[in-house]
Amino acid sequence: MRKFATILLFIAVIAVISSLLGQQAWSSDGIEEIKKRGYLLWGSDAEGGAPYVFPDPKNPSRLIGFEVDLANAIAKELGIEARQLQNAWDSLIPALKRGDFDIAMNGIEITPQREGEVLFSKPYYIYTEQLVVRKNETRIKSIDDLKGKKVGTLSGAVAQDILMNIGGVDVKVYSGQVEPYEDLALGRLDAVLLDLPIAAYYAKPNPKLKYAGNPIGEGFYGIAIKKRDSELKNTIDEILIKLLKTGELEKIYRKWDLWDKTQEKLFQAIKDTGFVGLEESKKAPIYTFFPNLLKGAGITILISVSSMLLAVVLGLILALMKIYGRPPLSTAAAAYIEIYRGTPLLIQLYILYYGLPNIGISLNPITAAFIGLGMNYAAYEAELYRAGINAVPKGQMEAALSLGMPQSLAIKRIVMPQAVRTALPGVTNDFIALFKDSSLVSVIAMVELTKTYSILAATTLRFFELGLITAVLYFAMSYPLSLLAMRLEKKLKGSKR
Amino acid sequence: MIRVSNLHKYYDNQPLFKGINLDIKKGEAVVLIGPSGSGKSTFLRCINGLEYFQEGEIDVDDIELHSINRLEPGKDDMEAIRKIRLKIGMVFQQFNLFPHMTVLENITEVPTRVLNTGKDKAVENATALLKRVNLEEKINSYPDELSGGEQQRVAIARALAMKPETMLFDEPTSSLDPEMVGEVLSVIKDLVEEGMTTLIATHEMGSAREVADRVVVFDKGDIIEIGSPEDIFTNPKAERTKTFLSRVLKQ
Ligand SMILES: Nc1ncnc2c1ncn2[C@@H]1O[C@H](COP(=O)(O)OP(=O)(O)O)[C@@H](O)[C@H]1O
Ligand SMILES: [Mg+2]
Repeated sequence: MRKFATILLFIAVIAVISSLLGQQAWSSDGIEEIKKRGYLLWGSDAEGGAPYVFPDPKNPSRLIGFEVDLANAIAKELGIEARQLQNAWDSLIPALKRGDFDIAMNGIEITPQREGEVLFSKPYYIYTEQLVVRKNETRIKSIDDLKGKKVGTLSGAVAQDILMNIGGVDVKVYSGQVEPYEDLALGRLDAVLLDLPIAAYYAKPNPKLKYAGNPIGEGFYGIAIKKRDSELKNTIDEILIKLLKTGELEKIYRKWDLWDKTQEKLFQAIKDTGFVGLEESKKAPIYTFFPNLLKGAGITILISVSSMLLAVVLGLILALMKIYGRPPLSTAAAAYIEIYRGTPLLIQLYILYYGLPNIGISLNPITAAFIGLGMNYAAYEAELYRAGINAVPKGQMEAALSLGMPQSLAIKRIVMPQAVRTALPGVTNDFIALFKDSSLVSVIAMVELTKTYSILAATTLRFFELGLITAVLYFAMSYPLSLLAMRLEKKLKGSKR
Repeated sequence: MIRVSNLHKYYDNQPLFKGINLDIKKGEAVVLIGPSGSGKSTFLRCINGLEYFQEGEIDVDDIELHSINRLEPGKDDMEAIRKIRLKIGMVFQQFNLFPHMTVLENITEVPTRVLNTGKDKAVENATALLKRVNLEEKINSYPDELSGGEQQRVAIARALAMKPETMLFDEPTSSLDPEMVGEVLSVIKDLVEEGMTTLIATHEMGSAREVADRVVVFDKGDIIEIGSPEDIFTNPKAERTKTFLSRVLKQ
């Protein structure tokens, strides 16, 4: 019993730590509270995020980009600092609405549809859409030639609407901005339509690709703000006007060669100034990425260990309820196990993180990850324990009862020790599987090891080296567990002890 | 001491006992014989609550266990069953030692946790009991290191450690190799001679005759005959007893 209490205590401590960690990533309302807090939380996606927001190739633990500069400038005007929060681009608006951060700024085009959901600041950038094709392409010269062609774009971007409205275009939607160009170069797509700054950074330097026609469809990027934060919107508008008047905004865009919106000038500027781009990040020594990757690995360990503990304890309770409980309890446990095993973990995480806020329960990312993984794996652990319990001969319980043990004591002292021995190798294997499944929590804004990798790799295009290092890190974490599992299995094989 | 009256027992709506009665006096050794499937095990298991029954009454030293018509017993029934189990020890055909514990731990586990016997006292008792069943040198062995006969003797010592007033033996020698039957039987015989109230279900007609004060013959869930070993083995009255005895004695 004391061991059990220790485990529960441990879980409680982890839950508290995670909610404290999460607190930091928790936005409150109103300009006064933001000032009191001392920092402005802004949401954006650093994965493949150049030149908007992306890890500095020279120092990957630092984010750079024109929107980083803009966020810092705005925060400075407020007398505080800016903190970026990582969030998948296509769920920035829902995450803002559920209160993960104060503002979302990440090349979000102002559209009537989005204006129905959030407030927008005054525009801070005029974007255009650029069509990109393979160098040897002759048929496609403008978007008028796209009928019947496979065209890639970003999920939720204005470019997607433009393509849909042409009609007859086979639109392929991506969630990152690197992959469409990769697929285009590989011949899986015929063209890609995306915002010009993206094309300038990711397509222009690629010798296999070229621009087709002039940029089209001028529109505005705006800072998205929660509907109820109109005061914050007015303040940010004033700041933007001030930054424009003082030339601060122009300075930022000039630094990133974005000031002149005509495509010739943007091209010229990138070429002439040696833009912090692919060439340079390819040269950065590999160890500069270690701090980021190790931090990601740390978060992976925290999530895996805490959720495995939850799974082991909750699984035990479920197994006992299912085997020894009476109908309302045993049916509930059986239903829990079937539902959790019969639905994808990804859906469970989405419901937990994006669905629950609809009924007023808002979990921070690390708590959602801990609960989501833990509750899912509990169903599997419960089945392992159940198999273990069923493998204990009936005579063991009968002998214990006939000696005068109460059933609960017999379960604890006689049945469970034997059941756990049977279940242990399976539980250890599940722990290894959970280590790898923990990468799924990146969909709920956790930047753990896999997410760190994909952000860095998408920026530097060093998929191979970074991938190897990441794989080695995973291996270094899971191999000791494998060894432990093998030793346990060997030890248990020889005797029943 | 133990009174079974009007016992009815169904398995899956199939009647097994249809109102059987038996009185066991203090210090008596009663041996249950009869064809396999006749209900000997079930009878023993009803007495210590490992099986529930639908009608009748079992009375152990004024602790009354009533018919349990429900699928699951109630709180009062559980209380009565627990009290009865503390008075009655049971030894199984399959030994059922706890494989994850040493011989010593098997014996001290329940006294220390249920009777709150101090650890030193429990170890002292266990050592004495092991001496009695001639297994002192195996005190730190694990069950899978023992022969069947040794395991069954440990199981007897384990039951005795709870200081029961009655012992139930359900075919204690049936899974043993023939050469080990003797060592277990002699331990049981000693117990009976010391005056322990004993119920033994067995196929061993020779030893049944030797230790029994009374022999009870079961057939198809019925008690067809009760008598002294002399009467039953030399002069059985019921026709079915004769058939049964001629069949087993021929083997
Ligand atoms: N758990 C059970 N479920 C259904 N029938 C059972 C169960 N246990 C015993 N029986 C039946 O009850 C009858 C008596 O069995 P048992 O008491 O084991 O007899 P014996 O010990 O004399 O061989 C047999 O017909 C057996 O099939
Ligand atoms: Mg039997």
